[in-house]
Amino acid sequence: MSFRSLRNRIVAVFVGLLVLVMAMVLVLVNRSGDQIIDGVIERQLKSGARTFQILLSQNNSQLEIAAKLLASDFAFREAIATGDKPTILSALRNHGNRIRARKMLLVSLDGRVMADTQNPSARPYPFPLPDLLSNAEQSVPVSTIAAMPSEAYQVVVVPVFAPARLAWIVMGFRVDDAWAREFASISGVEVSIVRKDKGGINTLATSLSGELAADLPKAAARLDSSHSELLTLADSHYQSVAEPLDKNVLAILQRQIDQDAAPFRTMQVVLWGILAGGVLFFIVGSFLLARRITHPINRLALAAKRIETGDYSDALAVRSQDEIGELASSFVRMSEGIASREQKILRLAYQDLLTGLFNRTRFLQALEELSEGNPAAIALVDLDRFRHINNALGHGVGDHLLIVVGQRLDAISRGSGLLARLGEDEFAFLLPEHDQNAAWAFAETILEALRKPVEIDDQRLDISASVGIALFPQDGVNASTLLRRAELAVYAAKKHRSGIALAATVEEQPEPEHLSLIGEMREALVRDEFVVHYQPKLDLHSGEVIAVEAVIRWLHPERGLIQPCKFIPFAENTGFIREITPWVLEKVVDQAARWHESGRKLLPSVNISTYDLLSAGLVETVRALASDQKLTPGLCLEITESALMEDPEISLDHLMQLAALGVRLSVDDYGAGQASLAYLKALPIHELKIDRSFIHSLAQSPKDAAIVRSTVALGHALGLTVVAEGVETEADFVWLRQVGADLVQGYWIARPMPASELEIWLDKRQRWAVAAN
Amino acid sequence: MILAPKAWLPLLLACSACATAGSLEVVAATPEGKPIEDFAVVLEAAAPSPTKKTKSAIIQRDREFNPYLTIIQTGTAIEFPNRDPFKHHVYSFSQPKMFEIKLYAGKPAKPVVFDKPGVVALGCNIHDWMEAYVLVVDTPYFGKTGQDGRAHLDNIPEGVYRLRYWHPRLMDELPTRELRMGNENVRLTLKATVPPRPAHNKPPLEGSGY
Repeated sequence: MSFRSLRNRIVAVFVGLLVLVMAMVLVLVNRSGDQIIDGVIERQLKSGARTFQILLSQNNSQLEIAAKLLASDFAFREAIATGDKPTILSALRNHGNRIRARKMLLVSLDGRVMADTQNPSARPYPFPLPDLLSNAEQSVPVSTIAAMPSEAYQVVVVPVFAPARLAWIVMGFRVDDAWAREFASISGVEVSIVRKDKGGINTLATSLSGELAADLPKAAARLDSSHSELLTLADSHYQSVAEPLDKNVLAILQRQIDQDAAPFRTMQVVLWGILAGGVLFFIVGSFLLARRITHPINRLALAAKRIETGDYSDALAVRSQDEIGELASSFVRMSEGIASREQKILRLAYQDLLTGLFNRTRFLQALEELSEGNPAAIALVDLDRFRHINNALGHGVGDHLLIVVGQRLDAISRGSGLLARLGEDEFAFLLPEHDQNAAWAFAETILEALRKPVEIDDQRLDISASVGIALFPQDGVNASTLLRRAELAVYAAKKHRSGIALAATVEEQPEPEHLSLIGEMREALVRDEFVVHYQPKLDLHSGEVIAVEAVIRWLHPERGLIQPCKFIPFAENTGFIREITPWVLEKVVDQAARWHESGRKLLPSVNISTYDLLSAGLVETVRALASDQKLTPGLCLEITESALMEDPEISLDHLMQLAALGVRLSVDDYGAGQASLAYLKALPIHELKIDRSFIHSLAQSPKDAAIVRSTVALGHALGLTVVAEGVETEADFVWLRQVGADLVQGYWIARPMPASELEIWLDKRQRWAVAAN
Repeated sequence: MILAPKAWLPLLLACSACATAGSLEVVAATPEGKPIEDFAVVLEAAAPSPTKKTKSAIIQRDREFNPYLTIIQTGTAIEFPNRDPFKHHVYSFSQPKMFEIKLYAGKPAKPVVFDKPGVVALGCNIHDWMEAYVLVVDTPYFGKTGQDGRAHLDNIPEGVYRLRYWHPRLMDELPTRELRMGNENVRLTLKATVPPRPAHNKPPLEGSGY
């Protein structure tokens, strides 16, 4: 029985208290009971002793009356005077019979028994109790209980006067067990008559039976007449008192304690019964009570455990009106409160606050819940040029626009699937049981829904969107892959302005290794697995290498060197580029500084992604480098034409700031994008890098050669340096020098290499150039 | 046979010279000095004494015998006149003279003659407390003390006598002794323990003026 349990403790306290109280009662009852018994016994004994004495004196008076009657009988006296023994004996017998006296004697004045009814023919013999006669002479009459010699008698001695004393009449009752029993039955105490002499105690008569009587002489030895004592006879207890009767004769009066204690013992048994019953009753009662208390508590505890596991469904049905009922209803209110708060939290966790649609987390969760047997499609919707609208018209309008778009998408999503806003202007549908055709049809519905212009604050906004479709399980079985594929499809749709693109048809499927690479990139940065290689840029005017393009490489411990095209796109898409770019800038700037100190004048250039360009972080990073005086060797940032066109306004803003910090700006992959010359004109750029696809086909395509030639002319016309990259043949090199390109880079000159190799290469080339001259 | 008469009691005495006729005066008292009434003083002569036959009477009045002690010479007759208005039943179980005069009133027909010496105790069968003693002696020389405890014996001829004392309730053993009498007066003083007469449970007479 564990005392940690409330129930057991309640039971223990109740029962313990009862036992304590009952124990006290029992002790009290026992103690006062013993006192009461002692008192009762003592009173019984005293009253028994009084009764005994009264009986004794009654017997005496009976004897005395009979004896006196006889003594005063004229004829009897005459018989005595005449010595008529037969008449005397006859008269004695007659009077003795009247009161059933056994001992009838006539004793002469000189103390000789003249007539004895028990022994009629005896010759005169001395009366065995001469003291009795001399006492009788003093006071008349005299009585006692005496042993004569082995039998005890209660005797009276009465004188016979005629008128002078003539003789003594001695009359006596036999004191035997029957006598004692009769006395005992009247007095209510055990009566024993004993003779006490040097030899010990002899029992003359007793009302005690058998072994009790046998034990008496020994037990009574220590008894004296002054006070009562407790004697034990054959295991029974007797309160006893001795009453002296004659010189050596005592009456021992005894009251059995057990007899008087019996009602009390009965009461004790009843009390014990009550105690046992009470304990039992209390155990059961308090157990039931405790259960009434603890049962709801246990239910509350169980309910609390359910709530702990997030199950609020089972309302507590504790209907009692007491404190526990109150507790239970408080508990119910509490759990309802927790449930509603948790729902709110869940809503916050799974809901997009702006549009009220589900958020990315919820969407990913829904994706995770897809099961293989149930095909589904996801349709990723991205508004075109939303960033432009946001920047041009303010975030308020942008948000409003998103709300309206959300409502329109929500309207068409009814019954079709789960709609979520994944981020900024990115929405996604999860379309269960949609195959490619159904998804395509749904994507067209989406575009249709967004075709209508949106009116915000009296402004009419024409909007459009691109939709990327990924199919489960064909395009991926996990959420990130599916989403990634859908995102790639959206990019493709945007890129090709096709409105809708299927993930299955977009580029090559990302190799599985790419996906795992994304996860490893962060660790790689920590483990310093990224390295920067440098590709020389050759100045065609001076024949000197005056700049280097920094390219990042990943020295993977298992896969070896990984080209940036294999992981940079993912770094951009996951946002990890935010950490890579500053790291690269730092590395490059440091390296350039070291070269600068060793007398090498090399302008480093770093490729900047769209993400970098549009985020304010890049400007801050560069500003920090500038303020650390690390830009002394100069820095060139290469931005792709498509990145510039992603959000021209922000691009312009950021480029202005960068230019102000003294950074050279180069437009990378020029000619592949849709940058308008008017736009380029407004940009603070210094350099154009002609897209390598044009350079590759110089030898085969006169048109491309024409484009390159005119681009060089255009760049020069705009005051820009023109760089040709991807130069892989001497012919290309010669041709580019002819058309006036300012700088060239490519494998024909040198491939990207670590800083140390570059230094060796540069030194070698210098010696070669010297030798050539 | 049963009756054991009180022994003749000796006494201490002071004796003077003898004469032809003398007198004896005895003063009896308890050790506390209280005079003893009805103390019998008897002088027995060694030689035969002259008979002095007289008549005597023990009256029953107020449910008592009167006198309490009567001393007579052997052969004397005693009358038992009843002066009470109711009957008495006088008896004696004493060895020297057993008799009874059954319920009677007035004077019985004839007196009772006490012809043997000794003590005769008298009782009334109707009234237990009534008692009287008759001391029957073989000598004419006797006397008893009065209320003042004094007894006078006169005209005692010169000679040697055995002196005896007796009292119904005498406790002490008084030895007898010889006494030589002359013509002078002999005075004797004796101390004896005699308890007072036990108070008998004598009920009052109904309607009587007692």
